[in-house]
Amino acid sequence: MEIKTTAMAGTLESSDIQITISAGQDGINIDLDSSVASLYGDQIKKVITDTLVATGITNANVKAIDKGALDCVVKARALAAAQRALETSDQPAWEVF
Amino acid sequence: MEVKEVDVKNRRYRHLWQQFLESNGITGFSAADLEAIDTTSLWLDEEGEVIATGSLAGHVLKYLAIDENHRQAGTTFNIVVSHLTELAAQRGHYHLFVFTKPEYEASFQHVGFQLLAHTPQASLLETGMPTIKDYLNQIKHSSTETGTISAIVMNANPFTKGHRYLVEQASRNSALVYLFVVSNDVSLFKTTERKELVEAGVKDLSNVVVVDGGDYQISPATFPAYFLKSDQEIGDYQAHLDAQLFKQQIAPALGITDRYVGSEPHSKTTENYNQALAEVLPPTVTLHVIPRCQSNNGDVISATRIRQAIKEGRLEDVKCDLPTSTFAFLKANLPILQARLTTHQQKGF
Amino acid sequence: MEERLRRTMMFVPGNNPAMVKDAGIYGADSIMFDLEDSVSLSQKDAARVLVYEALKSQDYGDAELVVRVNGVDTPYFKNDVFAMVKAGIDVVRLPKVESAQMMLDLVKVIEEAEAKFGVTGTKVMAAIESARGVVKALEIAESTDRMIGLALSAEDYTTDMKTHRYPDGAELEFARNMILHAARAAGIAAFDTVFTNMNDVEGFKRETEHIHELGFDGKSLVNPRQIEWVNDVYQPTKKEIENALDVEAAIEEAHRNGSGVISMNGQMVDRPVVLRAQRVLRLAKASNLITEEGEFIEE
Repeated sequence: MEIKTTAMAGTLESSDIQITISAGQDGINIDLDSSVASLYGDQIKKVITDTLVATGITNANVKAIDKGALDCVVKARALAAAQRALETSDQPAWEVF
Repeated sequence: MEVKEVDVKNRRYRHLWQQFLESNGITGFSAADLEAIDTTSLWLDEEGEVIATGSLAGHVLKYLAIDENHRQAGTTFNIVVSHLTELAAQRGHYHLFVFTKPEYEASFQHVGFQLLAHTPQASLLETGMPTIKDYLNQIKHSSTETGTISAIVMNANPFTKGHRYLVEQASRNSALVYLFVVSNDVSLFKTTERKELVEAGVKDLSNVVVVDGGDYQISPATFPAYFLKSDQEIGDYQAHLDAQLFKQQIAPALGITDRYVGSEPHSKTTENYNQALAEVLPPTVTLHVIPRCQSNNGDVISATRIRQAIKEGRLEDVKCDLPTSTFAFLKANLPILQARLTTHQQKGF
Repeated sequence: MEERLRRTMMFVPGNNPAMVKDAGIYGADSIMFDLEDSVSLSQKDAARVLVYEALKSQDYGDAELVVRVNGVDTPYFKNDVFAMVKAGIDVVRLPKVESAQMMLDLVKVIEEAEAKFGVTGTKVMAAIESARGVVKALEIAESTDRMIGLALSAEDYTTDMKTHRYPDGAELEFARNMILHAARAAGIAAFDTVFTNMNDVEGFKRETEHIHELGFDGKSLVNPRQIEWVNDVYQPTKKEIENALDVEAAIEEAHRNGSGVISMNGQMVDRPVVLRAQRVLRLAKASNLITEEGEFIEE
């Protein structure tokens, strides 16, 4: 699916992650800022990538600022940002939920 | 704790807000700076006392302050910055800047901001996307020539023979010249118009590449005081930050070693800016101050005089100061330009 | 209807990951994730997804899981209900209910979602927040078999009544009694409103004692600190527990004898007495006063 607009979801508060997605050219590129990046960076990036791919996004530039989010929060924020970028927040893709 | 979106031009909040900022060491409330604010958030405790505040002016976070009893652990700080970035996103701004004191650099970096430049008085950081790296990658010229790479930054409102003279000096002494056209929508000539006139005016100079100054070269975002009538002190630190940003980020990424500017006998803002460049750039970047070239009548050629001539409909009087491409554009668009001058007179083009 | 304790229903703002994540650790009987008033309009979609993902992956123990969706007349309503049904929520709480029809509208969307996602048994409850809702309480309470309870929401209600909250709660007396009667008549639970002034601990305890005395099952809460205070008020006395244990023994005795009549001290034990005894024992176990086997736990 084509990204229609740059979009953001999540906050910078504790246990959250703020994810911004914009249109990209070559695959999903994630710029992750996290105090636990050395331990969990790969896992966080994997959750984001899997979630975006599930929504049909194959090319995107992603900026993620992690404040200690659990996987389910990473997934929720990636999904919310993806829906906003695809402008489908009003018609959720239930198969992705 | 509750958050309110307020308009600080509204008297009811203005006093509360300004008093809180002043008690936190933040000053500078010129009419122009206040006018630039789009929205302000106020966090209040149960008694209605201000705990924190922050404002948005376009894609710049401003007037951020947190009561000292709420600074521990940075929780409130994160809430404030988070809230403002969300408000900005709702307004379509995903790329944000903040000016702050150097001691708060780390707090912003902790929530994902990248440092662009700092001086002993102030720091400039950005967050979101696209970043300065994206910008530099986009404008970088894939030249294989070896030799001096120079830069000129100009607003060119509009492009005159004076500008042309400056570009010629740089072109003659360089292998490659990056000619940055300042990007802003507050000048009489729109960014695209100014850029097109510059491009037309330097077409014959093959080693000159005209690029967009973006948000990083004398832009309303990073150097608002250049466009607004801010306090002198604010203008001064912003000029130094702009110079540092050029020196620390732009010059090294593009291999620029020389910068050309025109001498400035009339505008105090520009003169101060040239002064800041002279203080900051050398020895990393050599600054060349080129004396302004003169018109037939002995005055220096200036875009201000061109705009005055447009206003008064005396294009023929300044014809000799303009490249043919600029003159043709003015002639074809005179009524439109005059209309813009009338409607936006108060903005002081 | 399944009987369970509903002393404490803790509100959790639906777009706050820290609070959503930790909601299970305080021991609330019910956890109510909020997609409505605590979530700004621009974050409705994000909160819905966050609560959905948390419900799918987090362990909230034995707590009954409730979600307050946005009202039937909002553009978020249907998507909220669909997402929560898919996540397997126990109870959907509908705000601002003023008629049985609103509950039926909710049930219709739940049925649609259950069919789509292969889910069954989603329950509902109604928040009463207006004069009309209070007057129609019985009709609302009896609107559907999925109903588990009515909750009073005082903030909007007092505004509708052209008053506001007072320390003595006189402004809520009619609504509390009306809702309680409707709930009892329909055989469902009744939840009292939140108490928002966190600094007035005494006021909170006074109000909790009052609604306990009236007969409410419990109270909606905005802060986990309040859970313990409510549980203290709902804790049965030693005498009540001993009496309940006697009733339980009499029931077992009757079962052993194959008798249909339960008697104690030569008196016949009525059904309400049995029900109350069962409730006291549930409370006593939840308050850690007796073991599952009915042995007193010493302090």
